Amino acid sequence: MEKEKLFMNTGSPPPLNYTASSSSPPTTWHSSTSPIELQVGELNVSTEQLPNCFLNLNWENSMDQSVPFESALSSIVSSPATSNAAVTATDSGVIRELIGRLGSICNSGEISPHSQPMGGSTATASYIGGNSSTNTSCYSTPLNSPPKLNLSMMDHQVTGNLPILGNSRPTHPSLAPFSTDPGFAERAARFSCFGSRSFNGLTGQFGLKEADFPYRSVPRVEKGKLSRVSSCQSLKAVESQMGSQENKETPLQDSIETEMRSAAASASASDKKFSRLKRSSTLDNAESANCREESSIFGQLLPGGDSAMKTSHDANAKKRKAAPRGKAKDNPSSPSRKDSKEEEDPDAKRSKPAEATSKENDASMAKVESNGGTENAGDGDQKQTKDNSKPPEPPKDYIHVRARRGQATDSHSLAERVRREKISERMKFLQDLVPGCNKVTGKAVMLDEIINYVQSLQRQVEFLSMKLATVNPRLEINMESLLSKEMLQPRGSLPHPIYPLDSSASAFPYGHQPLQGPLAQNGISNGAENSLDATFLRNLGLQLPPVDGFVEAASQLSSFWEDDLQSVVQMGFGQNQNQEEAFQPQSFHGSLPTAHMKVEL
Amino acid sequence: MNSKSSPSGPCPHRAKFTRRFLRALARINKDRPTSSSHHEIRKRSRKIKIAADASMAYAVGSGRAWSRVMLWKLRNRTRYRAWIWSRVIASTRKRIDKGSKQGGELSRTDQLRQLVPGGEAMDFCNLLDEAAHYIKCLTTQVQVMRNIADFYFT
Repeated sequence: MEKEKLFMNTGSPPPLNYTASSSSPPTTWHSSTSPIELQVGELNVSTEQLPNCFLNLNWENSMDQSVPFESALSSIVSSPATSNAAVTATDSGVIRELIGRLGSICNSGEISPHSQPMGGSTATASYIGGNSSTNTSCYSTPLNSPPKLNLSMMDHQVTGNLPILGNSRPTHPSLAPFSTDPGFAERAARFSCFGSRSFNGLTGQFGLKEADFPYRSVPRVEKGKLSRVSSCQSLKAVESQMGSQENKETPLQDSIETEMRSAAASASASDKKFSRLKRSSTLDNAESANCREESSIFGQLLPGGDSAMKTSHDANAKKRKAAPRGKAKDNPSSPSRKDSKEEEDPDAKRSKPAEATSKENDASMAKVESNGGTENAGDGDQKQTKDNSKPPEPPKDYIHVRARRGQATDSHSLAERVRREKISERMKFLQDLVPGCNKVTGKAVMLDEIINYVQSLQRQVEFLSMKLATVNPRLEINMESLLSKEMLQPRGSLPHPIYPLDSSASAFPYGHQPLQGPLAQNGISNGAENSLDATFLRNLGLQLPPVDGFVEAASQLSSFWEDDLQSVVQMGFGQNQNQEEAFQPQSFHGSLPTAHMKVEL
Repeated sequence: MNSKSSPSGPCPHRAKFTRRFLRALARINKDRPTSSSHHEIRKRSRKIKIAADASMAYAVGSGRAWSRVMLWKLRNRTRYRAWIWSRVIASTRKRIDKGSKQGGELSRTDQLRQLVPGGEAMDFCNLLDEAAHYIKCLTTQVQVMRNIADFYFT
């Protein structure tokens, strides 16, 4: 939730592929302690909006150490909006910062050249995550090394790499198709070239270890609340890259491409994601925990099927592009999933259109993809997806619930959510039944109203039975006519139709008009009576239980006397209800025998 | 739950209830003494109330938990009156001991359970369901009875 608010504040923060920044707690988000995270997150997202809000964030947050870094990053982020020249000018600084960050993160290792657009960002992200006080990862300490130190060291390489970057930037045919975000492509190209060359040296220098990468990504993933999938995706991409070290360029490009694709897709879907974010609750911890699991699993499964991952990446990207965050995409995106049932679960889950979260799908898909064909990951995924959905396809007896974005996905909470939804649905129905409950919100007040209404209804039955007990048996003859009358008209409580007295005209000594009058009054007052009863009885409540019947009688008989009714109404809503109620029963009590007398005469 | 056209619309059991109730009413009023003392009136009113509830329960049939409970209660009323009463008291006391928020006062859920027949043995979700249907039938009952009363009194 906080994250959502955070995003709201920043305008339209697009979903981040790397949730490092987004995952960081909102405090850090707003605070200036870790503005880098913002930047990193922003960096990964290729949206036009990103630079705007990102820039705002950058400039708003005071930057302790990362001022140059932030500025550099911001410039990079804003590259799509700015000219290339401007970007180039700041690129060196940005790159320097990036390298610095990466170097600093070298503890966690594997800033492998291929993984660099991800790796770099992830490294920085994880680094930032480490910086953030809220980072719970044990790797925060190693990541807390001041970036400045590395920066100075990095400067040389950065500058050295600059020309490479400059050259490579315009030439990146693989990135050409990604015209959705030319800036991003540019950046990616830059990073790709940068990473492939410079990071190699850098890693060599700082002894980046690949083994540390998954761990490093874990803290980042921990914070990755927003785009867990993307982070996992990037993770996978990185790991796939790492797994296949021989080909640095192509995997890098692939990762970049997939990342860009996903970024582009996510950019397009950022709004939707954001709206989903707004809706989701703050259960990202669970998700991040899940992602952490996945990432750890990924870490173990470095040589996981790259192809599978890539296809899944593509599928994910496609899924991202889909407007409804493609549940449909989920299925095709998990071809490598050894358990096809899990894939079908999204289908089954799709049947429940309730706020389905692509997040969950992404998570499941991420798991699927990460597992590729690996069994461990598959188990983990299966476990998680199973938690998310009920058993596979033939969903006959199972209630398929789709976990909302940012909510826990274990079976208990899901069942609890189903139960809660059922209860709220019933409460809504009850709201319609009980008059005057439209404005009431909340279970407790609703229950109170319901209880009062049921009590009033039961008392009315009592009173009416008492009234009927006093009926003169002489009128029994009219039973059939009464019955026919009853059958003729469908009477609602409030809308009182004209009483069709034609059939019973003969049976009645009274004319139609007089009968209609009081009856109309009665009908109109019925609803009022009900509410009156509620207020009445609530006020009387436990004070004058024996008077309840008379109050009922009063309310019933008040229909015959407009004045009385009005007084009753006033009394019901009056201030000194106790006194008035004490008065009224007696007055009505007086009227009751008169009614009796009238009847029996 | 048989959700009819609208919550405030006519209940489908209305006709059945009316017929049954009128018949019961006729039966009750047939053997009423000429002198209507308050005591007699009260006794008769109780009978009428029971007849109304029974008619409603019969009209609803066994499709609803509350109607089933009510019918069972009505059938065994004479035989197990004391036992039923003790059971109700025991359940109430148990609930109070279990988790009363205030001292001795029942929670809202428990109050609702007491109001809806058979509500003691239901989970909250079903309780709401039954309560909704019960309210619908109660309103129908009240409407019909009021119509009859108006018919007689005017």
